[in-house]
Amino acid sequence: MTLEALIQGCKRKEANAQSELYKRYSGVLFGICLRYSPNRTEAEDNLQDAFITIFTKVEQFKEKGSFEGWIKRVTVNTVLQKYRKKRVFEIKEESQIEDVGEEEVFDEGFPLDFLLKIIQELPERYRLVFTMYVMDGYSHKEIAEMLGISDGTSKSNLARARGILKIKVVAFKK
Amino acid sequence: MKNKKHIDELFKERFQNLEVSPPARVWDNIEARLNQKKQDRKVIPLWWRVAGVAALLALLFTVGNAIFNVKDSLVLVNEETDQPQDETIKQPLLKIKTKDKAPETTKNIAVEHPTLNTTKDKVEKTQQQLSTFKANEAISKMVREESNVNEAVSSNKERFVNPSEQTSNAVANTIGDKREKPSSVSDYNTQQSSNLKESSANTIKEGVASTNVNTIKESSKTPINTQSTKPDKALIVQPVDTSKMKTVIANEEVNVKDTENTNEVINPVTTSIFDAIQEQEKIKHEEAIAQLKPKVDNRWEVAPNFAPVYYNSLSEGSSIDASFSDNSKSADVNFSYGVGVSYAISERLSIRSGISTVDVSYSTGGLELGEGPVSSALKNVDYNRSQIVTIPLDRGTFAAQNSGGGLDNVSLKSTNGDVFVNQNINYYEVPLELKYALFNSKLGVSLIGGVSTFFLGDNEVSVSAGSFNETLGEANNLTNVSFSTNVGLGFDYKFSKKFKFNVEPMFKYQLNPYTDSSVSYQPYILGVYTGFSFKF
Repeated sequence: MTLEALIQGCKRKEANAQSELYKRYSGVLFGICLRYSPNRTEAEDNLQDAFITIFTKVEQFKEKGSFEGWIKRVTVNTVLQKYRKKRVFEIKEESQIEDVGEEEVFDEGFPLDFLLKIIQELPERYRLVFTMYVMDGYSHKEIAEMLGISDGTSKSNLARARGILKIKVVAFKK
Repeated sequence: MKNKKHIDELFKERFQNLEVSPPARVWDNIEARLNQKKQDRKVIPLWWRVAGVAALLALLFTVGNAIFNVKDSLVLVNEETDQPQDETIKQPLLKIKTKDKAPETTKNIAVEHPTLNTTKDKVEKTQQQLSTFKANEAISKMVREESNVNEAVSSNKERFVNPSEQTSNAVANTIGDKREKPSSVSDYNTQQSSNLKESSANTIKEGVASTNVNTIKESSKTPINTQSTKPDKALIVQPVDTSKMKTVIANEEVNVKDTENTNEVINPVTTSIFDAIQEQEKIKHEEAIAQLKPKVDNRWEVAPNFAPVYYNSLSEGSSIDASFSDNSKSADVNFSYGVGVSYAISERLSIRSGISTVDVSYSTGGLELGEGPVSSALKNVDYNRSQIVTIPLDRGTFAAQNSGGGLDNVSLKSTNGDVFVNQNINYYEVPLELKYALFNSKLGVSLIGGVSTFFLGDNEVSVSAGSFNETLGEANNLTNVSFSTNVGLGFDYKFSKKFKFNVEPMFKYQLNPYTDSSVSYQPYILGVYTGFSFKF
């Protein structure tokens, strides 16, 4: 099935097209969900929600853009929506964020599980900002809009996330 | 491998294009939810179908009612036009046969004046013609003349009356008959007239000629025949049966005079009599219609009503906050009261409206309470207070969020007892419904279908926990004007023609109660509307 046929099938709510779409993209999207979610179980839940959203909103997809880009955005938005719903409370004033200094670390071939674990352990907002900025290439402005925070908060949250992650990475070898 | 890297790169490399196959249960869940969605989607169309069927039925009853009434009146009209025609035609004919051109016959027959006048003219002409004949001319000549007259009569008839060929043939036949037996003029005359009558009667029976045609025939024939016999009487001494003829002529003379008189004098009257007959028929028709369509005497009805109403949702979901969608909810029974007016379109079908005030409410459980700034509080509520407010949270939120490091500025509020968020909404409802009576005896049963417009009145979101009660504020996601589709059954007991007791269980499905389309709360109102109604 060509991608176009697949999309058309999904727009018509055909079960086999939906199943095929899931087979093709669930791996990529689950990867995204894992790093946006605090744990694997929630990541699974988020993947489910993301696919439901994709299947219900696929009519809105314009043929012009990249379909993969679109479903990734839908997934991120779905996940963000959930954590927005849970009301991400202000944690600390920006002034309270201390400079973590050096951001360079030695890559010692850390296991993926470990890296994922330390991302998931980040406080909610740090995790979202870090993964949006670093891995999905959103700008601080975009992040600020999507999370309903200020640019400054986004920047400080990112710095704070880096600091926490660095401590944990450095601590790994010990 | 110990090269130094920016921490971002470390993660980006490993995670940017990470693909992890999710466990099979994820797809199973998605499939289940997709199927459930399909079912959900079916719920609304099914409801719409039910409402549609109700509306269609109401429409059909209305249209059907109208059609049936029209049909009945059409049938009546046909019967009316058929019967009187037969009667007016047959009756005079019968009279002609029995009474032999009695003046009454002309009375009963509508004769157009111009035609009558022209026939009269003809008659006069033949008279003149005949008077110019010399007295000593032979009978045979007379007979020939007479046959001319008859021919004139027949042509006359053709000209004015345009009768069927049959009648003209019949006339021709009689002329032929007469030629065969020239001696019995009087016999011929009577015979001819009777033949004509028969022929005309036949044509009438066959429905070829109209009433007027026949009357003209009669009127034109009568005078001519008698006129033509007049000279016979004067000139003919020989004819076979003079006495018989004399009587015939005498009779006919009288008749002619009579008919002429009556034609002149009574003609206006005859038309008025015909009118009178028509009028009578009209009255009959109206009476028949009135009998078929029983008069709806008191079309207007006023009905104050009171109803316990039950407010609930067809789906899970929460109008207060999406995070409460899977929480337990309990609908409360509130009250609606108001007054309705209805107008009876027919005996069975009525259209009604009115106004009533409706209070609805429901409460959400499975919550815990926190205190914090408005910015962290429920988005769908406009809080009364601006600083620190009470924030209802899904139970367990604190435990989950604290471990994640959130909720720093929201503190748990200790409560004694289960926490509930209550939403109270007051609407003003204006229904527009059709009511069709299935049974209309002392105990009536009817079908009700229609729509209601809801105008938002006051609304309030409050929390309660044990003895603690607080009003948070107003919900900001309620539509000011919303609609519902209504179906229901009506039962009534008639104390008298004007006074009855109604019980109407109604189901009202709200179409757009919330401005926020993401609120998957699909409320309906179930109410048993009771009250007395008065007709006037």
